Amino acid sequence: MVSRSFPQLLTCFNRTAVGSAGCRRFSITPPGRATPQSSTAVERVTSPWTLMAAVCLQRLPVITADCSPIEQRFKQMMQQMELEKSLLSDHELRLMEDAERMSRKQGNEYDSDEEEGHGDQEIMLAQDLEDTWEQRFKSFQPAPRVRADLDKDLTSVQRCLADSLVLLAEQQVGAEKLWLLPQAAWQEGETLRQTAERALCSVTAAGFKATFLGNAPCGVYKYKLPKAARTESSVGTKVFFFKAILADSAPGTAPNTALLWVKKSELQKYLKPAYMMKVDRFILSL
Amino acid sequence: MSLVVSRCICGLLCRQAVPPRLLLGEYFPGVQSPWFSPVVTLKTSAPLRAEPKKKNKVDPRREQMMKERLKKKLKKLERVPPELIPIEDFITPTKCLDETRKRIPPRLSFEESESRALLLKEWSRYKQKQQMAEVEAIEVALEAQREALEELKLESKELYQAALKPDPLLFPFTHEGPAYTPPIPNYEAPDGKYNDVTKVYTQ
Repeated sequence: MVSRSFPQLLTCFNRTAVGSAGCRRFSITPPGRATPQSSTAVERVTSPWTLMAAVCLQRLPVITADCSPIEQRFKQMMQQMELEKSLLSDHELRLMEDAERMSRKQGNEYDSDEEEGHGDQEIMLAQDLEDTWEQRFKSFQPAPRVRADLDKDLTSVQRCLADSLVLLAEQQVGAEKLWLLPQAAWQEGETLRQTAERALCSVTAAGFKATFLGNAPCGVYKYKLPKAARTESSVGTKVFFFKAILADSAPGTAPNTALLWVKKSELQKYLKPAYMMKVDRFILSL
Repeated sequence: MSLVVSRCICGLLCRQAVPPRLLLGEYFPGVQSPWFSPVVTLKTSAPLRAEPKKKNKVDPRREQMMKERLKKKLKKLERVPPELIPIEDFITPTKCLDETRKRIPPRLSFEESESRALLLKEWSRYKQKQQMAEVEAIEVALEAQREALEELKLESKELYQAALKPDPLLFPFTHEGPAYTPPIPNYEAPDGKYNDVTKVYTQ
């Protein structure tokens, strides 16, 4: 690289200057430092693309998905096979012993003195234990897995708990309002990831806590302006997407723009086809 | 031993009596003069005192050698390597080898065993399709990222370098996985009692 060799040249120049007496030491700002800046400035000036960063905020599934028919059949079969191959557990042995003891008690020749000392087991039979456990289980009310009313509400983050949802925002692009992943224009002095974080904050008014997954973008969408609008300096925009995972689903303050939480299958209804093609690649709905 | 006894008795007598020296002479052993031998003390002589036999010069050296040998033997015994901590999972507990615990294996009909075999094959095909789909999806996502980084490189070197840097704050990353039912808001789980009987080994 040229920029590296310049300081080296200067150092050897300086050494020779020190060696020869009576030479004036003059300070040189190494021109090596100046050239990269100008080159990037030249690059940015010549690059006709405006940079934007967008955030793909995903709310991961909260509950397990329902089993497909083959999965259910296989689950039942595996449970049956494992039961057949297993040994009797302590609880089952106890159940068997208690049943035996009951049958002996009901028989005519029963001598309680001959019984071995199982005091606790006679007071509290294994069956009674099972009944108490059953009672306690029934007294616990879990939250319902599926709520039909919430599933239909596209703006709620609690909809479709078994799937992962993506955040969409309605933003002004050029002349029209489009549904897209929240984006913001890149400004000097910040990295693209910071732009993406700014995009998220501006759209949701700092309500969501998101963990951004790394500094690298996960996808890019290039948009060329229609020929009429193209100029020397702006041919189009490049939107870089960054992935983030929603940590806390407390909404906090109301959002500025209209927001939607959609599954991957529903994305097609809201996004433009070319945009959808690019976005589809990195949103995994596994 | 007898020396000690005689010394004790002497001591006792000395403490008890406070002799005026002028009046009583030889009867008080507190008076220390060579002419008056204390009568009250026990007459002890060498054999009575049972002194240990006097040793030759060779013996201390022999004793030292013996002691050194004993110490070496002790050190060798102490150099035993530390006992290995047993892995509890690899030791089959004797409860499992109990004969009374065996179940009666059920007799499966031909149809049942056939259906099981067919279901297993169907399952392996289903899982294979699932795995291929996952691998493909991951490859597509990686390709998308590679394209994005190439475009960024064309744009600006600094942003590209910034994108390549690893994020130190990302790890350790934790996320609560899906459960069967969603969490109940403002739910206080009851405390459970348990006795922890795990064996702790120290080396």
